[in-house]
Amino acid sequence: MLDLIFSPDFFFAVLRITAPILFATLGAVVGEKAGVSNIGLEGTMMISALFGSLVSYWTGSWAAGLLVAVLIGILTSLLMGFFAFILKTDIILTGIAVNMIGSGGTLFLVKVITNITEGTALASTTSLITTANQIPSWNIPIIKDIPILGEILSGHCILTYIAFLMVFLTWVLLYKTPLGLNIRSVGENPNAASSVGVSVLKIKYIAIAFSGAMAGFGGAFMSMYYAMGWSLDMVAGRGFIALAAQAMGAGEPVGSMISALIFGTAQALSIKVSSKGIDSNLVTPIPYIVTIIGLVIFAVIVRRRVKRQHSAAALKESAK
Amino acid sequence: MKKFLALILALMMMLSLAACGEKAPAEEAPAEDAAADAPADEAPAEDAAEPAEDGKVYNVAYLVNGNLGDKSFFDSAMSGLKELEDAGRITLTVTEMGGLAEDQPKWLETLYEVSEDGSYDVIVCGTYQMPDYLKEVATAYPDQKYVIFDDNTYVGVNANVLNLTYKQNDLGYLMGIYAAAVTTDTGIENINEDAVIGFVGGVDSPVINDFLAGYIQGAQSINPDIKVDTRYTNDYVDTAIAKEYGLSMINDNKCDVIWGVAGNSGNGAAEAALEAGKAYFLGVDSDQELTFSPDLAAITLTSGLKNIGNSLVWVFDELDAGNEHWGTEVTLGLAEGGVGLVTDKNFEKYASDEVKTAIEAAEAGIKDGSIVVVSAMDDQDKVIEMRDAVRP
Repeated sequence: MLDLIFSPDFFFAVLRITAPILFATLGAVVGEKAGVSNIGLEGTMMISALFGSLVSYWTGSWAAGLLVAVLIGILTSLLMGFFAFILKTDIILTGIAVNMIGSGGTLFLVKVITNITEGTALASTTSLITTANQIPSWNIPIIKDIPILGEILSGHCILTYIAFLMVFLTWVLLYKTPLGLNIRSVGENPNAASSVGVSVLKIKYIAIAFSGAMAGFGGAFMSMYYAMGWSLDMVAGRGFIALAAQAMGAGEPVGSMISALIFGTAQALSIKVSSKGIDSNLVTPIPYIVTIIGLVIFAVIVRRRVKRQHSAAALKESAK
Repeated sequence: MKKFLALILALMMMLSLAACGEKAPAEEAPAEDAAADAPADEAPAEDAAEPAEDGKVYNVAYLVNGNLGDKSFFDSAMSGLKELEDAGRITLTVTEMGGLAEDQPKWLETLYEVSEDGSYDVIVCGTYQMPDYLKEVATAYPDQKYVIFDDNTYVGVNANVLNLTYKQNDLGYLMGIYAAAVTTDTGIENINEDAVIGFVGGVDSPVINDFLAGYIQGAQSINPDIKVDTRYTNDYVDTAIAKEYGLSMINDNKCDVIWGVAGNSGNGAAEAALEAGKAYFLGVDSDQELTFSPDLAAITLTSGLKNIGNSLVWVFDELDAGNEHWGTEVTLGLAEGGVGLVTDKNFEKYASDEVKTAIEAAEAGIKDGSIVVVSAMDDQDKVIEMRDAVRP
């Protein structure tokens, strides 16, 4: 059992499983920082996944597909923003609507666009996509020759590297740029932000567009690397896991990355465990149980910290 | 202004309500009329048929809830019906109703139209998308006979509907023989010498385990020491997770032949085999070599088929023999030609003569009853026992 888990192969799988969740998590992080709860990440990923793989098929260029996936992600979330910010619909309900469109709407679109019918199996574009339409993997020059480390880190899809790079970039964006300051202030206190001349609306649009772009990357990862082509409901809850990872990571880029990694590890673990013949009905829930346990531990830690702060403050108060 | 707007809106709502109210009975009326007419129409047709018992030519309508050319169930059914037509046993009318979401209303409408016509002896349709429509129409036209293939949602609800289903365990047996033979055939590129084959199922349920039962039994008939790595994705849509399972089977347990029986998610196992570059995939239901892109088709060794066409021929054989199965579910296995393997393309290329002989022998054995394939539909516990005994 242990030899299965402590293999380079296992850690490689962890990074691969984490990547699409990480993209969506970063989208959720930036959205929440600006006070925008984008629960439509799941649906946005699904829509991006469809258009990414179709464009890659039509143009024969994965780069074009990736670009379109990201653009579609941005467009979808801007549309969500329009409904939520301008037409004042509830953003949670708007998100739910986007998730529904992501499921039923993509099925409708794929039937209209490609004429693929659903007679005998669920619809998918797998029949169209060849490896040439997929986003390639990349071997990191020097690192790939280091024994174990090279096996774990090298040879991933380009998007996997981008996902982890984006964690750093998101941190820089939020904490080292004026835009980041604006995003955070709009999330903390929109009235205060607008009183000093920050356009709350503009910042919210930027934040939701960013989260859409991340969902676009995540969707492209799903249909253009992980699986070959779009198929119905293929994102399978990763957008929702991302919301949990964002909450577990206290809304910080690095913390959220760690929680996404915890989920990825749990998922990889469950797959390794299944090779030992443990009942699949016990194996499948492992990642979700780990997520719930993680959330509980996190909540307990936060409560303790708050209590400690309170008592420290109270001590100070009484000392006066 | 506001009041005016409200008034207009209220008026519009009333109008639309009225429109709905009027329309509904108008639409229902012909159906009811037709239901009443139907028996009258049917009666002479049946009378006419009585004297010409021998070599009766059936008038058949085949309703395709999609389009022909799907290289799958619809085409398979068509080939069977075409065969019957060419043999002069039926006259055939085919209606392609389209498979788009916007076509769905047409399905019910067409079913009603064809049933109302009354001139068809048998109306054929199929797939999991049709039972609700068929149930409604079959209830309205109790004297019209219907055949629905690959579905058993409402078995016995209508005494005029025959449900055709297919024996997964027979199919699994043949696949098991092939997989067990290939997995040790190191002459084939990328095949290792370990006798380990894989199975990716949708959920741990009797239907999926029925495929598995035959698969294990068939594999053991070739190699008693064979190991079968069984995983369940617990999901029919998450291709990515099936790919993870596939990669784990290939890397951890040295599986080099994997059978995917998990809907769309099963294709993930094929993608895993392609990416790992050291395993092959077996398809299910229809010829997946035809429906996959070239990359994936190249590593798909064969597919377990539901021979819809053969099963329809069987229906008319039975009718001619005077056996009627209306109102029941008939499960067709190898003996009736209801299931089988794809035996051209990659099968032709990779299967050795010994394998071909073994498969033919197994087919013959199952047909004459000398080989009895375990079924998870009857005894799932036994299959689970088998499954756990052959884990790598």
